[in-house]
Amino acid sequence: MIEDEIYRSSSQFRLWSFTEASLKQLRATTNSVASDRVRAALRRAQDARRSATSSTTGTPAPGSDAENKAAEDKQIECLTPEEEQQVVDYYSEQIIQLGENYKPPLPTIVRATAIQYLRRFYLTNSPMTYHPKQIMPCALFLATKTDNYYLSLRQFAEGVPGQTSADDIIAPEFLVMQSLRFTFDVRHPFRGLEGGIMELRAISQGQGQPAPHFQPSQTPEDLRRALLSLSPSSATASTMNDRISRAHHSTREILKAAAQITDAYFLYTPAQIWLSAFLLADRPLAEFYLDTKLGGPIISSSNHDQNPLYALRTKLLTTLANCSALLQAYKPFASDEARMKTLKRIVGKKLYHCQNPEKANIAGQKRIPAAAAAAAAAAAGESGTSESEMERLAKKRKLERGSETTKDLFGGELVTQRTKERQMEGDQQQ
Amino acid sequence: MAVSPLVPHASSVAASSSNAGNKFENDSGTNSPNKTKRSSSPQRMKNPDREITEQLNDDVRHKYIKDKKLGEGTYAVVFLGHLRTDPSSFVAIKKIKVNAEYKDGLSMDAIREVKYLQELSHPNIIALHDVFSSKDQNLNLVLEYLPRGDLEMLIRDSNIHYGAADVKAWMGMLARGVWFCHENYILHRDIKPNNLLVAADGEVKLADFGLARSFADPYLNMTHQVITRWYRPPELLFGARQYSGAVDVWSMGMVFAELLLRVPFVAGNSDLDQISKICEAFGTPTEENWPGVTRLPNYIPADPNHIVPLQGRDFFLRQFPTAGPVGADLLMSMCTLDPRKRGTACQILQHGWWLAEPKPTKKQDLPRKVGGTKKMGDDLTRRGGELDDTSFKNAARQLDFGAARD
Repeated sequence: MIEDEIYRSSSQFRLWSFTEASLKQLRATTNSVASDRVRAALRRAQDARRSATSSTTGTPAPGSDAENKAAEDKQIECLTPEEEQQVVDYYSEQIIQLGENYKPPLPTIVRATAIQYLRRFYLTNSPMTYHPKQIMPCALFLATKTDNYYLSLRQFAEGVPGQTSADDIIAPEFLVMQSLRFTFDVRHPFRGLEGGIMELRAISQGQGQPAPHFQPSQTPEDLRRALLSLSPSSATASTMNDRISRAHHSTREILKAAAQITDAYFLYTPAQIWLSAFLLADRPLAEFYLDTKLGGPIISSSNHDQNPLYALRTKLLTTLANCSALLQAYKPFASDEARMKTLKRIVGKKLYHCQNPEKANIAGQKRIPAAAAAAAAAAAGESGTSESEMERLAKKRKLERGSETTKDLFGGELVTQRTKERQMEGDQQQ
Repeated sequence: MAVSPLVPHASSVAASSSNAGNKFENDSGTNSPNKTKRSSSPQRMKNPDREITEQLNDDVRHKYIKDKKLGEGTYAVVFLGHLRTDPSSFVAIKKIKVNAEYKDGLSMDAIREVKYLQELSHPNIIALHDVFSSKDQNLNLVLEYLPRGDLEMLIRDSNIHYGAADVKAWMGMLARGVWFCHENYILHRDIKPNNLLVAADGEVKLADFGLARSFADPYLNMTHQVITRWYRPPELLFGARQYSGAVDVWSMGMVFAELLLRVPFVAGNSDLDQISKICEAFGTPTEENWPGVTRLPNYIPADPNHIVPLQGRDFFLRQFPTAGPVGADLLMSMCTLDPRKRGTACQILQHGWWLAEPKPTKKQDLPRKVGGTKKMGDDLTRRGGELDDTSFKNAARQLDFGAARD
């Protein structure tokens, strides 16, 4: 059995791997379904407010009337799939920040898993339905559990800034798990990188193992000499060791950020991702490593067809080049003023107005939707929700709306976000 | 392995259990990305009040019907169930109880079990067909139905006679399952006879992944408090925090010995007692036979007046005559004190014993026992690492060496 077969049986491949086109289509579908439902929910909210105001004989609450009018007049403007992506990217970066709040900071692997959970979650959910601010801490806490980094919820909550309580964090857990389709395993590129680095170090010490298909013609000494003669000229084993360490470090940095906050995991395998990052970190070293497996460029054109490594190499290098380009194009929000400005407009203004009001209170809804669904299923079978069930749900919505004010839809802001915004404001004034 | 990219494990595993085969085919798209897209298309929106993921969950839930309760523990309830479309295709539905004491969301056991079973699809590992949530946010695992109990039941029942060929068949299935876990960088960490369940066709399946975890991350520490005591290797008893598949191989060796003896081979009544029993049986670990052992965190220096020399092949052959010389050699490699020298799951599978006479019994001809359904219920509701103490209360249990020798 080869490793490819094992990878193809993983949930990451079966459920969470896409082509660029299929990924785009899935996001477009999610966006359009969510937009329709947000519009419907906001209309219901307006209707309910109107009927509430008309039924109370007294004077309407000051201000609210005018607000309603304005909202009605304006067509509800929903986020586009691209804008949703910006929001998800931003909160993916926030997970990296949030991980720093702990002593010791949360392991890279836990943060990386959490980011992938968040990104997987938003393939079938829209930020308009569930605000990433609520989902993000939950995804991170879930990742501490699935990656064996045990923290109690109470300890975890202490690291989350703002007024986010333990209950707020855990409330969407089931929703998140359901959206992950109960697959918790994320295959990361980190382990592969460690293995590759170990191999290179062994080669530099003359202890490298040539690939089975190059034995016995290739010897560990051949490999060592080839490695030490890499450009730019390098001489001793110790300078080579430093070079490997530097490449190791830069690759890890790319894997920690760029690989996480792009679609790399959806489009490429862990091995492709680390090799692409390695190519960005030290191209000659990475190419040397590939050559130890693939036998270097094949120059004589006559036997291209016979040599399976030729086809494999060509195909692999194209894939790696595409993945490298994706990784290289990544720019963090903090270093991209224009992007940050756009984001502020999306989250601060637009998302505020197109947040689905019926989904705002996840904690409050915790047990109700499942129970309601079961009742509905029992009552209506396959044909959909029964009328009495619809009425009941409508009543529930009304009750919930009565108890919450529109201002609180978002809850408190996270401190990290506030700091970011303050920085931004500073930038704008300059 | 027969899993093609977009076919989920449900279909491939169902194919191995005799009559459920094509029943799952219709639903085989459930886990594939394609289905996600199909299901999320607007025309499939049956109920405007349900989110896409909730609907996917409903679809899965509606595939099954729960029947009677098979067993209940502190941690889970197991029901017999079947496919809605086919009442003869049985499944076991394990409903994880929401623990009122545990405020931190879904428990680690449940998370581990779901996480690893989702990744493992192999004839010798219990299949997880589906996962869904029911009302009140209970988690339900739809597992392969294994109606013939477990190996512990067969070992303990003096009315059941089995011999070396049967042991070889069972061990072969166990070794393949363990090898597959390790090949996927997953440690089971609770291998013991009552976690080895028997399917209708006689196939042995590794179950209960509540203590499983991934391994092979360099420098990462892991807990040493895993594996039920009698099956726990010496490195864990000495508190090793970095270990490998060798821990499962030791447990396999203990299962092997127990199958041959029909009693647990080293059954300590405390962790300390377990260490001394292991030393007594296999030899005292020293720097000579196990370099580095004295530096393990919970290492206990051996009494210099009572050093048991490392046991050789003769000992194993004397103690386990049923295994034959080649079998004794295999057992010895599984029970090697130094985990670095212990056989790996892959080496175990390449051992000469499998090819030596007698040939392993065909799975349909293996000794069987009725009434395994309740046992499955009990096995699936137990928490990981627990000893089923009641099983061995009657120490004067009759041994059946005669049967084991034929």
